[in-house]
Amino acid sequence: MAGQLIPITLTVNGTTCRSEVPPHLTLLEFLRDTLNLTGSKRCCGEGECGACTAIMNGEAVNTCLILAAEADGSDLITVEGLSAMPYGARLQQTFLDQGAVQCGFCTPGMVVAAQYLLMNNPDPTPDEIREGLSGNLCRCTGYARIVEAVMGAAGDE
Amino acid sequence: MSNADAHSGITHSGIIGRPINRVGGPERVDGTYRYVGDIKIPNVLHTRLVHLDCGRARIHSVDTSAALQMPGVRAILSGKELPASVKRFGPANRDRPILAIDETTFHGEPVAIVAADTVWAAAQGAAAVVVDYQELPGIYTVEDALAPGAALVQDPALRPNSAYKETNILNEWKFGWGAVDSAEADLVVENDYTFPMMTQFAIEPFTYAVEPTSDGITVYSAIQHPNYLQRVIAEFLDMPLSRVRVIAPDPGGAFGGKQHAKFEPLLAYLALRIGRPLRLELTLEESFQAARRTSAQAHIRTGFQRNGTLVFQDVEINYLIGAYEDIAGRLVAKGSYAGGGGPYRIPNVRILARGVFSNTVPSTAMRGFGLPQMNWPVECQIDEAARELGIDPVELRMKNLPEYGEVFMPQDPPADGRWAETLRKGADAIGWGKPLPPGRGRGISMGLKLGPTTGASYAIVRLHGDGSATVLAGTSDMGQGARTVYTQIAAHELGLSPQRIMVVMGDTQGVPFDLQTSASRSAVFMGNAVLRACRDVARQVQELAAEHYKADAVIVEPGTVEVGGQRKTFDQVMTDRFSKVKGEVIGSGSARAEYDETHPLNGRPAFYEVTCTAVEIEVDKETGVMVFHKLVTVADVGRALNSQHVAMQDDGGAIQGLGHTVMEQYFMDDRGRVRNLGALDYRIPTTMDTPRELISLHVENGDGPGPYGAKGAAEGGILAVSPAVAAAVCAATGAMIRELPLTPQRIWEALHT
Amino acid sequence: MSALHYARPESLADAIAILEQYGPGARVLNGGTDLMVRFQKMQVTPEAIVDIKRVRDMSDAIVWDGDSVTIGARVVMTRLIRDERIRRRYPALVDAASTVGSIQIRNRATLAGNICNASPAADTVPPLLVHGATVQLVGSSGSRETPLDGFFLAPGKTARAPDELLVSITIPPHRSPYGAAFGRLTRRHGVDLASINMACAIDAERAVTFAFGAVGPTPITVKDTSGALADHTVSDAQRDAALQALIARTSPISDVRASAAYRSAMLLVIGRRVLAQAQQRRADFDARE
Ligand SMILES: Cc1cc2nc3c(=O)[nH]c(=O)nc-3n(C[C@H](O)[C@H](O)[C@H](O)COP(=O)(O)OP(=O)(O)OC[C@H]3O[C@@H](n4cnc5c(N)ncnc54)[C@H](O)[C@@H]3O)c2cc1C
Ligand code: FES
Ligand code: FES
Repeated sequence: MAGQLIPITLTVNGTTCRSEVPPHLTLLEFLRDTLNLTGSKRCCGEGECGACTAIMNGEAVNTCLILAAEADGSDLITVEGLSAMPYGARLQQTFLDQGAVQCGFCTPGMVVAAQYLLMNNPDPTPDEIREGLSGNLCRCTGYARIVEAVMGAAGDE
Repeated sequence: MSNADAHSGITHSGIIGRPINRVGGPERVDGTYRYVGDIKIPNVLHTRLVHLDCGRARIHSVDTSAALQMPGVRAILSGKELPASVKRFGPANRDRPILAIDETTFHGEPVAIVAADTVWAAAQGAAAVVVDYQELPGIYTVEDALAPGAALVQDPALRPNSAYKETNILNEWKFGWGAVDSAEADLVVENDYTFPMMTQFAIEPFTYAVEPTSDGITVYSAIQHPNYLQRVIAEFLDMPLSRVRVIAPDPGGAFGGKQHAKFEPLLAYLALRIGRPLRLELTLEESFQAARRTSAQAHIRTGFQRNGTLVFQDVEINYLIGAYEDIAGRLVAKGSYAGGGGPYRIPNVRILARGVFSNTVPSTAMRGFGLPQMNWPVECQIDEAARELGIDPVELRMKNLPEYGEVFMPQDPPADGRWAETLRKGADAIGWGKPLPPGRGRGISMGLKLGPTTGASYAIVRLHGDGSATVLAGTSDMGQGARTVYTQIAAHELGLSPQRIMVVMGDTQGVPFDLQTSASRSAVFMGNAVLRACRDVARQVQELAAEHYKADAVIVEPGTVEVGGQRKTFDQVMTDRFSKVKGEVIGSGSARAEYDETHPLNGRPAFYEVTCTAVEIEVDKETGVMVFHKLVTVADVGRALNSQHVAMQDDGGAIQGLGHTVMEQYFMDDRGRVRNLGALDYRIPTTMDTPRELISLHVENGDGPGPYGAKGAAEGGILAVSPAVAAAVCAATGAMIRELPLTPQRIWEALHT
Repeated sequence: MSALHYARPESLADAIAILEQYGPGARVLNGGTDLMVRFQKMQVTPEAIVDIKRVRDMSDAIVWDGDSVTIGARVVMTRLIRDERIRRRYPALVDAASTVGSIQIRNRATLAGNICNASPAADTVPPLLVHGATVQLVGSSGSRETPLDGFFLAPGKTARAPDELLVSITIPPHRSPYGAAFGRLTRRHGVDLASINMACAIDAERAVTFAFGAVGPTPITVKDTSGALADHTVSDAQRDAALQALIARTSPISDVRASAAYRSAMLLVIGRRVLAQAQQRRADFDARE
């Protein structure tokens, strides 16, 4: 198959990765299939569910809506790198303590989105948390415990 | 982070009921848990399904020649090429082909499958398959299906022994007691209600892989019933059960949608045919075409005395199912049977329920199993009577609830809970009767679901030489926390801290048989099996202690024996006994409920799951937009084995219920196409759609048949949301709506047109 | 089917050359929140994807020239919403941009993409229309500026030629007092596409302009000439009659998001609310100056 391959270099969770990717490959597929970082999940593939959320150059994004080629030169944090982030480990613990994890399929995207939220707003109100996580669907928990968990991890580090 | 950290400091004593953290949680918050889609299989080919953009079609031909030329495409199979020897499959009746052969019977039924080196190549290949077909008119509604002379959705040859084979009726169930026609009522409330077509929408889309092996076949599926799937595949391939291995990682949400085989037989057939492992990951859109809840239409007459006493219930309910039976027979029977009466004492009940075939997405189980569809009309009727009679809805319900131990359905066990306590708790928590700001309304409702009527669960507990234990239990932990609860039971029974226990599930090669993970059964059935396996271990440790220390041994408390005047933990006994030549103690346990031919459902329920939901909402009357201020859900769980897990389940059930109450529905066009596949136009609640306050409470009287008095939980939360919300909308606006979901548009229409 | 090509030009000239080379087979990739959805569902099957994020002249700057502002094609919703001066001057645009998708979407979605995608329901378009925005385009035959009003031809279709790029959006200055507001109706509270949306602006001369979205094949701009809408002393009935005259110019249809009747009725209800907020903002503006 003689298709185009685009060389890319990016930093994922602090590690520099070099690869060559076909034009159609999404960043989510690259993470999951090429780098074997399967923490980021695919559900909708259309930006609605947030299961694929990662932090790219400091901003939360849906990796299913980004081509791997577009990510060239970027600095990426995925759930696998979360515990090294300012709120990461704390969020992971409060999610467990508050019972905010059921099947867990939404959880990686949810904790990454929560990390991004707290980075930008260390002391959010419950309504701000709801707004900030509205791009992450969870079918199991009913969200109340997720909001509690984020409240619990809030505050200056 | 490891499990051990999460539970450090927690000991076995008093562990039952404790809100210990979810076992399996740490690997979910750090993204390392491997769901089925995260498993890499060497040499695998990726597949993609080919389907048609219409509800029903006659397939003339499938041209795969161009697609086969595409880079990376390795194999294509169309239904047209299937040898006649390839069997159909299905959990009840084997009526479903692995690919559509001459006709597609619903929007999304695959006509071919393309296998290729990459997902992209498979998708390109699938797009290049040319299907010559003729669109046919289909049956999409109950009315169409039951119309005289309606075309048959299912070929009568597929169910030769059915009395209904020349109709679109799967079956008709008639239940009841007393004499409805001669019952005298002061008030008769008579209405029609509808419940929409909706879908489970687990966040993990359906994903499968199949790997032929030298000695059989391995199927990877996030299935709720690994053993059931094993049987379906074994029968489909004519292989012994022992040669079919099902690996079922914990599902990323299931809610009933992942109970039964869907594309595993297709992949198994093709994998064996081409001798390559195959993988199929459905898009979310395809997942919507793979499973849905049965929609329903009910006509109901309810009779009351002037003082609010229920006199009769007379229901006709039609459940619209897909083109194949799946488990609809069971669902319609069980849902309508118990739902017809609800948790009330009704002397005269008549239920007529039908499963009705249609050319729509296959319907299957979903949380509540046919009950939310039935509880919706039943509870709305009670509210309407309360309004008509000028009786407070809580008081009216109180009046009709059976006492503890009272027989309220003649062929079933008596009331096994203090249900008035459940209702009272809900009413108190919502502030029933307290003044409300204008524009707001409250509603309250109850629900009853029958626990499992039959079933079989087997567990093995291995107490290792170092005193740690492995529990083998075939339940699927899809988020309900079965791993946690079995850990707690084993910790308690064996006197171990939770971090010394490992629960193994989801692999039919090593884990013993479990019928299924459904019907809120696992805490009770598998819970009892695990408990018994632990007690089997304890008995053996006791014997072993007596033998090893050459003295009389007695178990003085779980996990401790007294031997020769000394107390020893199991731990010590094990390390003493197995210090030289190593070994372990293996215990087994089971829990079964057998067929009872005399019961209308072939079995009496193991327990009742009774629930109360109360809401406070606000409606913008100009737009119909609703805001949820508060939602309270109360469950009678007998004994909460983990108080937090129970509340987590009820939270989730309530918000799922809120989804089908206010926003979820398939829109189908007149060609049978679902117009809102996927997450863009099929709306489920987001963080911003949930109540400001969500409160999950439970009632515990230790009166269940499960371990330590537990009853099942986790379905109750969804049962009573719709009628409670409809009552609240009525209280806030005066509009009574009998069609779900209560979208802003529908509320506006009720108020303005 | 030819193989897909990904291009990442660094100059406008290169970008336009590629667009010319591939013609309608090329797709411009900006934030990708529309294009990637359609690409993955195979609703579009481009031969070339032209990623413009490294094109030097595609700016992610918000540039003020006196009271006129020019927003570069790379400006994403989040950047727009966080801009203090934009917040002060164009609250209706900020309100609209804040409703676009989720935070993950807004971190990628551009104003330019929202326009070029030409969805009848695009949320930032009604405020841009009532503000009298223009867009600047560059193509092989040079550059041009055109009013946004008239730019939309049909769902998904604009007056942009296949080899043109939208490089910026300009909002002209407004004499104070000026007030504008945005409103919309959705099926649920969190992340949703609009069943209807609209913006309203009241200028210094009390001219009232509405733009309505999701109630016709393209967003439409309508002006009140009765004078009844800017005057808050008129009766509710007079106000409603004037609003209805504007609403009559829309052509809502029924689809999975809403019925035509509901859409029409909501135009009036939301129209009143948006009008009231625009009046309030204009009054506040008055008080501030
Ligand atoms: C989950 C989700 C929710 C959404 N919610 C909303 C919402 O609430 N309201 C709303 O209005 N929209 C919504 N959108 C749509 C989308 O986010 C917006 O339209 C966004 O502004 C598009 O910008 P973009 O940069 O991502 O565009 P892209 O996807 O990159 O491009 C969109 C189109 O415009 C063309 N294009 C982009 N930039 C240029 C340019 N400079 N010159 C020429 N052509 C160009 C592209 O070729 C493409 O056809 C949503 C999308 C998703 C996935
Ligand atoms: S998979 Fe990316 S948002 Fe759903
Ligand atoms: S925990 Fe299952 S989807 Fe959120």
